[in-house]
This record gives sequence, C-alpha cells and structure tokens, in this order.
Amino acid sequence: MANISLAVAASHAPGLIGMFDQAPRESQQVVSSAYGSLARQIREADLDVIIMVANDHMANNRIREYPDFIVGMAPEHRGPAEFFKDWLACDEYAIPGRPDIAEKILNGLSQRGVRVSATRENLNFDDNISVPVVKTEIEASGVPIIPILQNVTVPPFPDQHRCYEIGRQLADLIENDLPSDLRVGLFATGGMSHEPGGVRDFWIDEDFDNWFLGLLANGDHDKVLAEVTLQRLEEAGSGGTGELLSWILVMGAIGERHCNVLGYTAWDKWRCGIGAVSWDMTSAPAGR
Amino acid sequence: MSLEGINRALVSHDLVQDLKWNADLRQEFEEDESAVLDRYELTPAERTAIEERDFRTLYDLGFHPYLGAQFARILFANNKSGATSAVQHLLASIRREPAPGHGEASEA
Repeated sequence: MANISLAVAASHAPGLIGMFDQAPRESQQVVSSAYGSLARQIREADLDVIIMVANDHMANNRIREYPDFIVGMAPEHRGPAEFFKDWLACDEYAIPGRPDIAEKILNGLSQRGVRVSATRENLNFDDNISVPVVKTEIEASGVPIIPILQNVTVPPFPDQHRCYEIGRQLADLIENDLPSDLRVGLFATGGMSHEPGGVRDFWIDEDFDNWFLGLLANGDHDKVLAEVTLQRLEEAGSGGTGELLSWILVMGAIGERHCNVLGYTAWDKWRCGIGAVSWDMTSAPAGR
Repeated sequence: MSLEGINRALVSHDLVQDLKWNADLRQEFEEDESAVLDRYELTPAERTAIEERDFRTLYDLGFHPYLGAQFARILFANNKSGATSAVQHLLASIRREPAPGHGEASEA
C-alpha cells in the first residue's frame, strides 16, 4: 500500500515573494523559519509525489460553471500564469506531474462519490501553487506534484465536514489504489485569515488564526469540525479564510496526529495571516 | 460582506476572466476600453459602474469580491507586486470613501 509520508499546510499570500523584503524583520524571520522547515521536510521525506490541495481563485473556470475540485493531470506543471507574474514577482517554474497517479486520483475519488473534474492542460496557477512551490523549493527537490484545486469561494462549496470526509476518501484511495511502494506527500495551501477584495481587506484576524492553530495543536478533530464552521470562517474573513478548508481536507486524510505549529505572523500589507504546520506521520494515527 | 449575494450570471465576471486570460485583450482594453465593453452584454448599470470605477455598485449587483480585487489591478493599472494601491482604490470605492491620494486615503 502507498503511504502518506508527509503532511504539511501553509499559507500562500502573494506578498510572501514580491513584498518579502519590505516586511518587518520579525515577520520575515517567522516565514523563513517556517517555510524553511517545510522545504527541509520535503527534501528529506524521499517522496515520489506531492499532492497539493490548493484553493482555486477563479483562475481556471467561469464562476457560472465552477467545479468543486479540479485535478491537474498535466505531465508538467508550469507557472505562474501570465496575468499573475508581475503581481507575484516570482520566477517561472516547471515541475513534473504524475499523469498516471492523477488519473487514479480522479477515478478513485469519483468511485468514492466525490464529484471531481480534471484537466490534462496546464492549469492557471496564481499564488495558490506558486507561492508554496517557490517558498518550499519544490522545483529544486525534483519531486513531481499533482495539484488538486478546490472551490472555497463560490457558494455553495463543500463544508468542513464534507472536506474532512473527502480527505478520508483520498487516504483510502492512496492506501488501496496507488502503487504499493509509493511515498506520497500532502501539502495543503491556503489561509489563514484574510478578505481579498472585501471591505475588510488588509485586516487580519489574529485572534482567529491563533485559535485555529491552537485547535490543530490540540489535535481533537471532532472539536475542529464542530467549531470551524463556514460561518466562523466567513466571520474571520469573507472569501479568504475559508481556504483553510484545504487544511481540513488534509486532516481528514491523515486522522488525528501530532501537529507541529511551525510559525505564525501577521503583517497587514501581506493582507493575510501567515501560518504553517506539519503533522507527525512517523507514528500510527490515534483512534483508527 | 457575504458571498451569498453573488450573481453567478453577471456578464462583468466574463469580462474580468477574459482580461485575465488574454493579455492581448488586456492591451486593447487599456487602449480603447469602450470598444471592448461594447462586445459584452453588460447591463447599463454594470457598464456605468465599470466606467466610473464604482466597485460599490458592482458589488451590489452581485460581483464577486475576489474578482473585484483582480479587476481593480486592471482598472487602476497596478498589477505589480502586492498591488497595494489598486486594493486601496478598491477599498475606497466599496467603502464610499475618498480615493487614495485625494485627501483621506484609506491607507491600511
């Protein structure tokens, strides 16, 4: 059975690249430390593929024909998409895909009752994939990726319970449908609190972010699912904070495991609370 | 601000998506905005709101805020790293405050 050898989550604010040097030194240090730790973990995990569970920011579909999930089946994933290059101020990257594994994810999730779309074309990537790829040096690691882009901003979209359940289905297909010796990494990207384009843009709900990270560190997933509701996410930043649903999907895939909070910082010009965690995948999950 | 009031059928959304996906169209839009707007079945209210950079009205018509932030980068010609000034213009509009650089800027 294939196994999940790495599970991590991190924010993807565009300014983490282009506006990094302008940030207060303390924020820079937190980001360098946290993303540096993720880069090291990715390098050392001897992975065959990283499944990146990211949010789609309406970069690939019109919002009247908007899928809940899109699996990237391209043989190579290149970015950032043209419109976002200057905005992100990041270098172009090209990372190998795994069309064979992506196909199994598409069919495996479909067979388990999850409605997913997929494309063999290169998806348009903005900060969702570009920032974590650059900040955690995935291109240099040589590990192929499979992006799964998730709707968290065009209602209705799957809530925390459904995302967690889909995470369980993803784990089931990794265990049963993928090649037996495959080492899989899961990387959730999105959040933390922000309200892109909304009346509270630039505002970061630090209390919410710290509370959320505390819940993860505490490790009680029932409590997470009971309390991190769509309404609570909306209150902490409409249309942005809900990106944390990608973290919850990964939590569903791995079950209750020790969560190591790698850092958190809030600088208003980044327009987003920045946090990163990794889960301990070396021991068996609790309660399974 | 809630996402529940979004009008998924709004033609303005198509305009923004096309501008994002097509650099040539974006160039044409910069040079001759009216000619591009003429090709979209915008309601008079949508068209006026776009021409007047009135994001408050666009949002009230059901425009998605996330696309609002992206549209602001095009309309306020600020798509460079962070696009802070475009977002400040957007915020001033949806908060019905004076535009940045004209008195009370909405500096975050």
